[in-house]
Amino acid sequence: MSWITVLWSINVGACLTLAVMYLAVWCRGRESLVRLLFSCIAASAALIAAYEVQLIRADTLEEYGAILHWQPLTTWVLVLSLVGFTRLYLRAGRIWMALSACGLQTLTVILNFLFTPNLYSGEITALRQLSWGGETVSIPVGTPSLWSLLNQATLLLLLAFFVDATITAWRRGDRERALIVGGTTTFFGAIVAAQFALVVLGVIQVPFFGSFAYLGIVVALGYQLCNDAVRAAHLASELQIGEERFRRVVEAAPNAMIMVNQEGQITLANQQAEKTFGYPREELLGRPIEMLVPERVSSDHRGFRHDYFCHPQARSMGAGRELFGRRKDGGEVPVEIGLSPIHTSKGLLVLASIVDITERKLAELEAARQRHDLAHLARVSTVGELSSSLAHELTHPITAILSNAQAAQRFLANDDVDLDEVREILNDIVTQDERAGEVIHGLRLLLKKGEPQKQCNDVDLNEVIRDVVNLMHGDLINRNVTVDTNLAENLPAVSGDRVQLQQVLLNVALNGCDAMAGYDAMERRLLIASQWENGAVRVSVADWGGGIPEEKMEQVFERFFTTKREGMGLGLSVCRTIIDAHRGKIWATNNADRGATFHFSLPIVDGRKGGSDH
Amino acid sequence: MITDQVMPSSVGQTVFVVDDDAAVRKAVARLLRSAGVAAAAFASPREFLAQYDPATPGCLVLDIAMPGFNGLQLQTTLGEKGCILPIIFLTGHGDVPKSVRAMKRGAFDFLSKPVKDKDLLTAVRAALEKDALARLEQARFSEIRTRLDTLTPREHEVLEHVVAGKLNKQIAGDMGITEATVKMHRARVMAKMKVQSVAELARLIERCGIN
Repeated sequence: MSWITVLWSINVGACLTLAVMYLAVWCRGRESLVRLLFSCIAASAALIAAYEVQLIRADTLEEYGAILHWQPLTTWVLVLSLVGFTRLYLRAGRIWMALSACGLQTLTVILNFLFTPNLYSGEITALRQLSWGGETVSIPVGTPSLWSLLNQATLLLLLAFFVDATITAWRRGDRERALIVGGTTTFFGAIVAAQFALVVLGVIQVPFFGSFAYLGIVVALGYQLCNDAVRAAHLASELQIGEERFRRVVEAAPNAMIMVNQEGQITLANQQAEKTFGYPREELLGRPIEMLVPERVSSDHRGFRHDYFCHPQARSMGAGRELFGRRKDGGEVPVEIGLSPIHTSKGLLVLASIVDITERKLAELEAARQRHDLAHLARVSTVGELSSSLAHELTHPITAILSNAQAAQRFLANDDVDLDEVREILNDIVTQDERAGEVIHGLRLLLKKGEPQKQCNDVDLNEVIRDVVNLMHGDLINRNVTVDTNLAENLPAVSGDRVQLQQVLLNVALNGCDAMAGYDAMERRLLIASQWENGAVRVSVADWGGGIPEEKMEQVFERFFTTKREGMGLGLSVCRTIIDAHRGKIWATNNADRGATFHFSLPIVDGRKGGSDH
Repeated sequence: MITDQVMPSSVGQTVFVVDDDAAVRKAVARLLRSAGVAAAAFASPREFLAQYDPATPGCLVLDIAMPGFNGLQLQTTLGEKGCILPIIFLTGHGDVPKSVRAMKRGAFDFLSKPVKDKDLLTAVRAALEKDALARLEQARFSEIRTRLDTLTPREHEVLEHVVAGKLNKQIAGDMGITEATVKMHRARVMAKMKVQSVAELARLIERCGIN
């Protein structure tokens, strides 16, 4: 058997095997176009090898021409597949070069079919039989024409495209691919081009063996694709290990963790999640997340969830609102939730980390209760200081009522009773009785212990100022202190406990009065002002007393700090506790001329902005 | 039947009620009117001072504790002006130190709020009587002063000696004039002072409290 037949057949067989293999692989997934292109490359390389061996064995010019008639079509498939493969696989190479090379190759094919029997029929004038390695081979004899130049130009353009793609990929850092795919293709492409040129020009006298160059290309590309497959398998197993590790971390997390897909279905839940919500895992997986959300917010939650998937980012949920989870038994758990988006091959998933804050809420409630008790204690002591002037406050309406009533008795004793006068007296009595009732009501509110408020109400600080000025009225007269108020109009509401805020103002104002006790009665005055700026309402109480030594500016708010002989030193420290609990600030400044001013500011209740999610 | 109507001891007597609490002053003034007493109410000592004519007889019902210019200060101011208007203080609970100060300065009475009508009316009646008497006294006093002003310096000298209880002879000796001249001066003094006896003259001078 001839060694030429053996070698070329091995070539055909190898290429065909690879072509069939990759075609089969491609058919299974139909994902990777690169594999299909590779299959085409290998198949056309096999065909070219088959043509070549036939050319070598051709005896007549007609036979030679008939074979050449079909060969360009095969080359066309090879070139187009190779260009496509390089573009797709290296993601490099200029498009215009690719298109030009493909265009020229297509032109060659078209021209080939226009001429009979083939494009090269004019060039090849004879066949020469010569002995090559102990075998007789046919070599075409002729003169190069315009058409072989076209062929050469196509080959050069292709080479340029490969070189360009290789360089681009290399520079990008994709060196292995550049070297194996780009480098090999360029190298073997150059061999084909050189051999073609030399044979056509008659410089060397050998048959065409370009198919072996193509085989080189096929082997290199096949090797690279195989490499990729091995790497992908490795990555997949690593991914599996990573996923397993992720599951273990989630499982061991101290918080409840739940993963949700774009449809809102639970895809993962850990042990802590089972504990927090009281569902066994099987009852959670695949179910909508809304089953864990209180019913009153579940429809809102759907909207929030949709918004989140549109703008996924790691953040906490609820934007300042109190969040609750729904347990299997229907009970609600206060929770805090952190969200993080996870991009996976199955699409975007969201991992929610849920902290059960029941304990913390209880601790907060306990702290609030203690603060409340202390505030009450301090308030009772403050009101105690006011008691004599409060009695005075009641004296006025009672005096008016008594005198009015006795006047009425006298008017009625007259023969000529002025009923209008008596009617007016009765009206006055009712008014004064109501006034006395208000004093008692206000006092009862201040003295009442009540429960710590769970929810804060909107409070108008101007009303608080008016309440306190009324409450202090008698005391101020006794102390010969005049009070001026300078209240801002349309003061926005703050959120808080009205009684506690009254207590703060009362304490601060009484402090101011105490500070002026040693000064002339004509100079004793308080100025209470309200204003708002930068999202906070500020109340200031200015006195004209002795001021505060600079080094004691902070100390005045400390517990048991007092300058008064009978004072407990609780007042201002309790004020600070109250203001802190209202997320406000309290501080003191000295006035430019004389005395000190105490200020406290509280955040304005903003326009009830709802959270952006749940 | 309530029969303790206060009859004004003289026509034109007015009770001035000064209290910063509108309801209280209205009610107190009303109570006084119901007992037939003319009453005028003022919201502050300053308002009262601005409108008060010292010639108007009556008395003052004054709240002791008021912001700014208070009841005690009004008492002091009136005292400085030589106004004799009797002052009844209305005091609230716990005004003891103030009451003591007011008492030392000659307050007429103290009533604590809430005040019973009988207490108030009794005090007011007494105060009005005192005012009327004081004004009568004041009128008499100025009458005596007028008479004294008609005496010549010589007659004045004789008057002093007479009131001192000296005999005509002693006076003549002290003044270095004859006894007859002393007698003449003395008769003229008795006539000008419109008295019948030396005892009456002495009482008159004593009441005036002048030398």
